[in-house]
Amino acid sequence: MTTPMIQLSGVRKSFGAVGVIQGVDIEVEDGEFSVFVGPSGCGKSTLLRMIAGLESIDGGDLVLNGQRINDVPPDQRGIAMVFQSYALYPHMTVAQNIGFSLDLKKVPKAEIAREVGRVSELLQLSDLLNRRPAELSGGQRQRVAIGRAIIKRPRVILFDEPLSNLDAALRVQMRAELQKLHQELRPTIVYVTHDQVEAMTMATRIVVLNKGRVEQWDTPIELYNNPVNTFVAGFIGSPRMNLVAGHIVGNASTQHFKANAGWMVSMDGRSLAGVVGQQVTLGIRPEDIRPVASAGEADMQASIAIVERLGAETYLNVRNGEDTLLVRAQGDLAMKPGEVVQLAMNHAAFHLFDQSNNVIAA
Amino acid sequence: MAGVNSPRQGAYTALAYVTLIIISIFCLLPFVWMALASVDSNAQLFLKWPDSWTFDNYIRVFATENGTRWFANSLFTVLSATILVVIISGLGGYALSRSKAWWKQPFLYGILLIRVLPSTALLVPLYKILLTANNGMGSLVRPLAGENYRAIMQMVGFIDGYLGLIIVLATGQLPLALWIMKVFFDGVPKDYEEAAILDGATLVQRIHRVLIPLALPGLAAAGLFAFMSAWGDFLLPLILLSSPELQTLPIGLFRAFLRVNEIDYGLLAAIATIYLIPAVIAFSFARRYLVQTFSGGVKG
Ligand SMILES: Nc1ncnc2c1ncn2[C@@H]1O[C@H](COP(=O)(O)OP(=O)(O)OP(=O)(O)O)[C@@H](O)[C@H]1O
Ligand SMILES: [Mg+2]
Repeated sequence: MTTPMIQLSGVRKSFGAVGVIQGVDIEVEDGEFSVFVGPSGCGKSTLLRMIAGLESIDGGDLVLNGQRINDVPPDQRGIAMVFQSYALYPHMTVAQNIGFSLDLKKVPKAEIAREVGRVSELLQLSDLLNRRPAELSGGQRQRVAIGRAIIKRPRVILFDEPLSNLDAALRVQMRAELQKLHQELRPTIVYVTHDQVEAMTMATRIVVLNKGRVEQWDTPIELYNNPVNTFVAGFIGSPRMNLVAGHIVGNASTQHFKANAGWMVSMDGRSLAGVVGQQVTLGIRPEDIRPVASAGEADMQASIAIVERLGAETYLNVRNGEDTLLVRAQGDLAMKPGEVVQLAMNHAAFHLFDQSNNVIAA
Repeated sequence: MAGVNSPRQGAYTALAYVTLIIISIFCLLPFVWMALASVDSNAQLFLKWPDSWTFDNYIRVFATENGTRWFANSLFTVLSATILVVIISGLGGYALSRSKAWWKQPFLYGILLIRVLPSTALLVPLYKILLTANNGMGSLVRPLAGENYRAIMQMVGFIDGYLGLIIVLATGQLPLALWIMKVFFDGVPKDYEEAAILDGATLVQRIHRVLIPLALPGLAAAGLFAFMSAWGDFLLPLILLSSPELQTLPIGLFRAFLRVNEIDYGLLAAIATIYLIPAVIAFSFARRYLVQTFSGGVKG
């Protein structure tokens, strides 16, 4: 394998006594679209800013293309960044904003104009070059910010929640444009978001962060199919995975999961003899539960609390004792709150986690 | 509220307008008197229409009196103080905005004291300090200057010298200016500077190409406030300056008023009008920037 573009090993950062980044080890391959996700305050921006050089690194190594760059000044790292606020200079035109870094390097005016032309064509900004940022729409500002980043032909582009200031429709459009840009220019991208849909759709690899640590680090589909702990299980996937507390009952040959609420489901095909009697958490995605007609096919029954009919699919919020489960059923179901529904589960899609919330291998 | 227009409300509105008009007349009257008296060949203490129109009073200010010199002195000292204030408050306001030092808040409220304490109360100690500084400067300049000693001391002296007046004027205006710039920079996100860092801007380039353009409305507001306030200062030049060559406009006006033989209202009104003009010009500039500065930071 070639050397990774970015390599973090044991990277740490504290603000005062608070450890914000507590030992992060990840690698980003050349040309990869890597996405950091995690809840608010987990340290995504801080980690990104450490890669950019805007935040010092307290411990560990940051290696870019084989070279340790912990102490290399930000402008010499060959890294560009798109800020959440865009941070376009309000006193400069679009062309001046995009060309600013070249102007600082005393690149001849004609060449700056040529480069600005190239970038603005790529981003469909050619007609806006003489406007000021205040005269642009949100999506246009976003594109200028991207233009300012790519004109330097950086090896790495960092994005900190670049779409969070846009409305939903524009966000979908910009998502597609960013992917297109990535396919055309093939830069290495590190992208921060707390929106897991953004992460799933754009990433070639996702880094799930929580409280300054990496919970899991893999391709989107791998994270979706094989979350290593309840945090990742609950974070990746929308709507979120159902997580039900209970324990394993049975003997050496057959085992069942018994929810604290009382219902039981068989754990066929898994060797769980070792964990009989232990507290566990069962994870099951909403799409892996479906309503069935007869009690014979069903794993459990529950009463419906909320029905959301979206046309193509129906979300059922159902209760069994203390447990609340979300069911994502295909097609339109004319069900009503208060009704009792029989539910069958896809046993092959069960995720089981132990007391310390780590996955129990199948 | 559209459409609601009872007779009662109409009466209130009329009353409000009448009151405002009376207040405006009351405020404007001295200016009208001044403007009229300054072009009256026979100006009196009372408000009256000029007997005959003349620019004699203005000509006398510059020809017989030392008007040009006073005006130049005022402009020089106040402009120098303003420039000093703009530079120091720009740098200091930035530092105060970005710093997380524990002494920041106490310092900010501390400097306000300079502003709120009546400067008259501090005059004696201030004079004492300046006198000491002046003696120090004198012993520094004397061996170097030779017979130019007096001329040089008028430039760099702390008592009866430009430098002292400029520094004291600037000091008086700094607290407000620092506050204005601190609050202004609070409204300028750090992202701009960080974007500039990543764009490869050096510290000097960041200040020159990003921060100063962003801070311009704030600097203009701080500078114009400082200019207007220092321009109106009377006590400091009165106490600190004694040489006739160093007199400023308000002192010239004051001395003309004090002359024993008779009071020349036409001349006084002319000096006063000249004295007013720069303040009015400064204010008309200030208006534009004040709105921008106090309606919240940088828009982009
Ligand atoms: N300059 C700073 N000084 C002190 N604490 C800070 C500083 N910057 C960030 N923090 C703290 O570090 C933690 C991580 O912040 P960070 O901005 O990296 O979170 P984030 O994952 O980007 O969150 P969000 O999704 O809300 O942007 C937070 O608890 C935050 O309060
Ligand atoms: Mg953040």
